[in-house]
Amino acid sequence: MLLTIRKQLRSHPALIPLFFFIGGGATMSLLYLARLGLRNPDVSWDRKNNPEPWNKLSPNYQYKFFAVNTDYSKLKKDRPDF
Amino acid sequence: VLGASARYHRRDQGALWSTHTRRQLQEELVHLQSLFEKLKMSDKFEEKIKNYRTAPFDARFPNTNQTRNCYQNYLDFHRCNKALSAKNQDTAPCQWYRRVYKSLCPISWVEKWDGQLESGSFAGRI
Repeated sequence: MLLTIRKQLRSHPALIPLFFFIGGGATMSLLYLARLGLRNPDVSWDRKNNPEPWNKLSPNYQYKFFAVNTDYSKLKKDRPDF
Repeated sequence: VLGASARYHRRDQGALWSTHTRRQLQEELVHLQSLFEKLKMSDKFEEKIKNYRTAPFDARFPNTNQTRNCYQNYLDFHRCNKALSAKNQDTAPCQWYRRVYKSLCPISWVEKWDGQLESGSFAGRI
């Protein structure tokens, strides 16, 4: 299959940017899914050994890329300890 | 506390200061400090509970779906009650969690979970 693609690319070299852009888009989607699976505070992979990983985050933890209204540096823990 | 002051008085009667005495003093100090912290904590949260408006922003749950926020506060309320009553402390600070989950959770969920707790079939770890 790769041989066919290489033959076709040699006769139509304008198709090469297509590969770059499609490949880039697919990589970005996979990276976003990986970030969602591994870094999202709502997710727990190992329920026996690490049951509530979101409780280990600091009150300053920023998951979102753009914080429109919340000033993350001013947040602090405001729940009673027990 | 009376026992502690009697011990101090005996030490003042010219006995040599041994490391054992010093350690006891330090332990007493730490114990008193923790008691003071706990007293301050319940005062601080009493005031917060009186001025409560709605559930504050929780960085652990930044997305639109606040299901886990609701459930976590419900669990934390019951865990806090269990932990503080096991240590024989006042469970008033736990009311903070109760106010938060009452603000966040749908009433039907709360009723369902309360029913499950009473019948012993609640699935969460408390």
